[in-house]
Amino acid sequence: MEILAYAAFGLYVSIIAIGGVIAVAAGNLVRALVGLIMTLFGVAGMYLLMAAPVMAFMQLLIYVGAVAVLIFIAIMLVRTGPDGDETTSRSGRQILYALLGLAAPAVILSSVVVTNPVESFSTPTAVTVKELGKGLLGPYTLAFELISVVLLVAMAGAVLIAFERRISK
Amino acid sequence: MNPLTLYQLVAIMLLALGLFGLIWRRTLIGMLICIELLLNGAGLSLVAAGQLTKASAVLGQLGTLLIMGLAAAEATLVLAIVVIVVRRFQTSDSEAVSELKG
Repeated sequence: MEILAYAAFGLYVSIIAIGGVIAVAAGNLVRALVGLIMTLFGVAGMYLLMAAPVMAFMQLLIYVGAVAVLIFIAIMLVRTGPDGDETTSRSGRQILYALLGLAAPAVILSSVVVTNPVESFSTPTAVTVKELGKGLLGPYTLAFELISVVLLVAMAGAVLIAFERRISK
Repeated sequence: MNPLTLYQLVAIMLLALGLFGLIWRRTLIGMLICIELLLNGAGLSLVAAGQLTKASAVLGQLGTLLIMGLAAAEATLVLAIVVIVVRRFQTSDSEAVSELKG
């Protein structure tokens, strides 16, 4: 059984890695978005593997259902050329900075995580939807209410920004 | 290597890819896609910490739900700003948007 879990883990890791590389490096923004969606599915699979099916469902609902569609509509509104607009060449300094941004957290954080492992179970604790609901309406009510206010303000703010009149220059 | 470390390494991979893309990308929407990668890594790490240690699993899952809500709010606002930038500058290139008022 454990081998099966590791096989599923490896499959999800490869989905996440391939999707992530496509999302970061594709010249065309639509292809990058497809890579992002692939990564999101991989992360949803990892949530399922960790016995958190509610989170996997929310991942698909919020990210794949809402955020991805939002980004796709933005790509449509921006109207890029047929080749995409990420195809221009980069200077050497920019490549160096990007590689530093990749390497710094990867080296520092992974060395910390590998050298100081936290004691962990091999079988995750399953949480029922009932317990999650009790958490939302019990100790974490404030966060629950605040996130709804944040979403409302973001929605109203986005409408307000998008309807702005052209300011005289 | 215990399971938690494996999940944390995947989250670090997402973080590193997202940071790389944030610097590498030219267009604002490309940068937004990379920010979504970063936030996904954060959520994965949080759920793994909640599910696989003695810490409260409910707190881990609800914290990730909070991150997802914030990501949706952030994406909405950033896309509204991108639409405005494209209307004013006729491009979504981050290098072109360097004009300050005043």
